[in-house]
Amino acid sequence: MSGALDIATAVLLVAGGFFCIVGGVGLHRFSEFYQRTHAASVTDTAGAGLMLLGLMLQGGLSMVTLKLLLVLAFLLFSSPAIAHALVKAAHGHGLELEIEDEPGRDGDAAG
Amino acid sequence: MRLGVLLLLAAVWLALSGPYTLDGWLIPVFGLVSVAFVWRLYLALERAAGGGFEFFRASAWLRLPRFLVAFAVKVAAANLHVTKLILSPKIELHPRLRRVPASQKISFGQVLYANFITLTPGTITLDLRDDELLVYALDAESEADVMDGSMDRDVLRIEGSAD
Repeated sequence: MSGALDIATAVLLVAGGFFCIVGGVGLHRFSEFYQRTHAASVTDTAGAGLMLLGLMLQGGLSMVTLKLLLVLAFLLFSSPAIAHALVKAAHGHGLELEIEDEPGRDGDAAG
Repeated sequence: MRLGVLLLLAAVWLALSGPYTLDGWLIPVFGLVSVAFVWRLYLALERAAGGGFEFFRASAWLRLPRFLVAFAVKVAAANLHVTKLILSPKIELHPRLRRVPASQKISFGQVLYANFITLTPGTITLDLRDDELLVYALDAESEADVMDGSMDRDVLRIEGSAD
């Protein structure tokens, strides 16, 4: 494994870790449920994506990389489905959204 | 399509367990059984959904790389924006709800568009009804990412029904 590749992996892993932490910080700093789901999606996309990319560099063209790609693919399918299920359940059961303006609600055309 | 799903399942099993275990006979049999079982689940799901699922045409695979690049760029930009929001000393959000038309022709395209929006930090899809998405956005900049319709066009393009 060449040095440059190792450095690239290290940078990607640290960057991925940074975004995971940012997602966690956002979970605490944002004030209500719907906003917090956005913070969590930073962890899901940038955090996990960069880390997996860094690991793929170490795997090279191999079965390991194929499996990491599959992990990434399943993650990209499942995490929006989960986020949508959570938010739709909260919305459907009447958890109020804190909204500044909502011209597009209740049948209006998109604002 | 059903055959395609069967082939895809077999390929995934082969990729994950095949190369290391094909010399025996027990594991390949387990593989066949599990692939058949999951395919059976898919068929049941299809029946429960009331008829066949509509997927993109096979030629969508050719347009996949371009879509993935557009996807990665948009998600990266949105991540940086939301990171900035999270780390700013004073959190200032202007959350809003918008109805966004999903102009994709088939339901798979609409679901892909809705998931695209949800995956992009700063915007999340609350509901999908009557070819319209209910989108919740953190602030004006996140909202603009969706309202300018570029993501809609990306999905239309891979669907193959872009103008």
